[in-house]
Amino acid sequence: MNAICRGNVCETLTRRDNYLGASRLFLALVLLFAATLVSAADHLEPYVPAGANVVLQEVPPTTDPRVRQFDQLRADFAQHPNNGKKAVALAQAYIDYGRATGDARYLGRAMAVIGPFMAQPAPPIPVLLVHATIQQSRHFFQASRDELTLILKRDPGNVQALLTLATVAMVQGDHELANRSCVALTNSGGNFMGMTCTAALRGLDGHIAQAYALLSYVQDPGPEAPPAIKAWIQGLMADTAARMGKFDLADDHFKNALQMTPGDNFLLADYGEFLIDRGRAEAAVELVRNDTQSDTSFLVLVTAENMLGLPKAKSDMAEMDARFRSMDQRGDHVFMREEASYLLHVEHNPKEALDLAQQNWRVQRAPKDVRVYLEAALAANDPVAAKPALDFIADTHLADVAIDPLVRQLRAAATTADPLASAASVPSIARPSPTGSGR
Amino acid sequence: MNVPKLLFALFVFAAGWMPLSALAHKESDAYLTLRADPANNHVMHGQWDIALRDLDYAIGIDANHDGAITWGEVQARRVAIEQYAMARMEVKGDGITCDMQPTGQKIDEHTDGAYDVILFDAVCDKNIPSKLTVVYRLMYDLDPYHRGIVTIHSGDKIAGAVLGPSNPVASLNLREPERWSEFKSFMVDGIWHIWTGIDHIMFLLSLLLPAVLIMRRTGTNGGAWRKSAAVAESSGALMLLAPTSSRYRWEPVASFWPACLDVIKIVSAFSLSHSITLSLAVLGYVHVPSRLVESGIALSVMVAALNNVYPLVNKRVWLIAFAFGFIHGLGFASALSGLQLPTGAMVASLGGFSIGVEIGQEAIVLAFLPLAYWLRKTRFYQVVMLRWVSILIIVIALGWLVQRAFDILIPGFSAILPA
Repeated sequence: MNAICRGNVCETLTRRDNYLGASRLFLALVLLFAATLVSAADHLEPYVPAGANVVLQEVPPTTDPRVRQFDQLRADFAQHPNNGKKAVALAQAYIDYGRATGDARYLGRAMAVIGPFMAQPAPPIPVLLVHATIQQSRHFFQASRDELTLILKRDPGNVQALLTLATVAMVQGDHELANRSCVALTNSGGNFMGMTCTAALRGLDGHIAQAYALLSYVQDPGPEAPPAIKAWIQGLMADTAARMGKFDLADDHFKNALQMTPGDNFLLADYGEFLIDRGRAEAAVELVRNDTQSDTSFLVLVTAENMLGLPKAKSDMAEMDARFRSMDQRGDHVFMREEASYLLHVEHNPKEALDLAQQNWRVQRAPKDVRVYLEAALAANDPVAAKPALDFIADTHLADVAIDPLVRQLRAAATTADPLASAASVPSIARPSPTGSGR
Repeated sequence: MNVPKLLFALFVFAAGWMPLSALAHKESDAYLTLRADPANNHVMHGQWDIALRDLDYAIGIDANHDGAITWGEVQARRVAIEQYAMARMEVKGDGITCDMQPTGQKIDEHTDGAYDVILFDAVCDKNIPSKLTVVYRLMYDLDPYHRGIVTIHSGDKIAGAVLGPSNPVASLNLREPERWSEFKSFMVDGIWHIWTGIDHIMFLLSLLLPAVLIMRRTGTNGGAWRKSAAVAESSGALMLLAPTSSRYRWEPVASFWPACLDVIKIVSAFSLSHSITLSLAVLGYVHVPSRLVESGIALSVMVAALNNVYPLVNKRVWLIAFAFGFIHGLGFASALSGLQLPTGAMVASLGGFSIGVEIGQEAIVLAFLPLAYWLRKTRFYQVVMLRWVSILIIVIALGWLVQRAFDILIPGFSAILPA
């Protein structure tokens, strides 16, 4: 390929190649070729549909009350385009719908709604909050965090800012900031918020049983609470129970949660991953079979199919890879953990998986991020590469039945393979940084 | 816990849980592909895939709101889709905006759903773009995370860019500037401009007609009969019939070379002056309203033809050519205006066009001179060609002058000749 670029124009296309290296590019080309072969039955070229009645695309129907709600909010805002409150209400409806369906387009639409208000010299705090929420949802955690810090300077007791900041801090692995935010949240937001916040944090710093106990205090927020709230807490409890090794309990919580919000995109993916972990791949296939438009659900499906050795696995792998490639084309990388896991468990390519897990580590450090990093380092037989994650675990006392054995194996491997490296604690920075090399 | 707080918590719940897992669909993308036509350097063939979901959000595609977009619904909105999209993207060749012509509508499947395919041609009319610029504004007001994934194919070269609201412009070098091809392209334009510009041809012919003849004055010392004949002639009554004027007569030149020299003088003078104003106007130093220029050209044609009927100037016809050449040059320039000529291609385009005009003009002269020389002794040439044709030209030029100067249409006139 003989690309000619001016300025930064080609950077976005080549950045990926730069940090993933030539072997990755080769792999991508091979897979692309495979994808071409496999999905030849699909339309790769533009075509003219057979008839006027052919359905091409499902879009949110107006029978969906959520769609009617934001249609109404949209009309309302269109009549009062200078009303910041109406803009925020519409943007929040979009974000909410985007979260429930997993459709990231709604984040952009929400951003467009608040755009004019963000351009003001001092945007109203609700507008800034929506903005910070979108940033966080798109995994721009640092930008979100900076913005939330500014909001809290203007309004130190802002509950929403505190909870969002706590969440961002937890994802980034900054437990000190998360703790401060949870304490402040208890003071201004009340016990329910504070306890949930603290429970989430306790789950990350080695007090996981305490976390589960705290969550069980708030698991019934009363009959008037919306089902989504209950489902959220059930989901948190499911995750916590799973990480404690109480798998039957976790399964119950997942089922409860899905009963409250059927089809919720995040619950499906979460539960699907849990089922795969437990060796229940058939149940995972069954769970997400009808939600294949969602990339997270499809990833669960492909992983499970591959595990079961189903004939469909091959073509679905090609499709999954095509989806990853089209995400790459944009130049955004919010799916790095998922792709690392896919490369490791489905493609069996630990080296590339480790590269990607290290990339992901710069952005987010939730237990699942830790886990895929350690798994990849172990599979790639590169315990030294896992040092940042191991240090993080030592610092935070993170405990998790899936992570603990990985830590032991990596420590053992590091000592036997290269005691000097382990003793001298060679920083991973000494390795050529994949991002640094190309940019 | 009260309800508002719970509702509030619902929102933070959305905020709080999301980062643990990435969103399940990728954000909005469109795919724009441009392919250089190997046979026609001016044309890029385009394919633009835009998600039906995005189009539905932007302009509404699902007409019956049943949540299912059908091919019939997409077809029904074809024009609206094309208008919406084409207004939000520009293809420029060396800074000149290319004309976008939709050529078809199809459907394409991408990993996240069905896309409407707009097939179009970007016609970069005058120049052969060496540097292609795409300015991309689709969805900029509806979704700042929308990205246009642009791929350009030119021969064996492939180049790509990801464009969005914060980075809407990509410039890609297609090829080394083909100044010579550009030069040729503009040269052909120049030739055609002369050949199809009937007013320029008439002006030139009017000046050239007497070049193979010499005017001999027959003196003004005649009697009353001669005077009255002169008056009659001046009134035009006898003009069509009289073989020649009583006060002067046309005699064929004795040899070819003096006539040829005369023609060279006329043509060179015309070329010199029109080149000056053409350059000044194209380079932006001179601007004369086009109505004035066009009227001036009509006037120049009339004056040149009148001089054949009422000869005032014979030996120095080149002076007329030189004087009116300035206004014709401004006319040529208007053919080039409307194109913002790229600075790099200025020399090629202006030079090519000027030389094309010269070539077109010399071709006319080369065809005319031998023929005129051969016919110069005939009454056909001296009466029909020189006199009657000149009178016809005067009438036509007068019509043009009236139309152009007063901006009116003479009924029936435009049917005969272009205004």
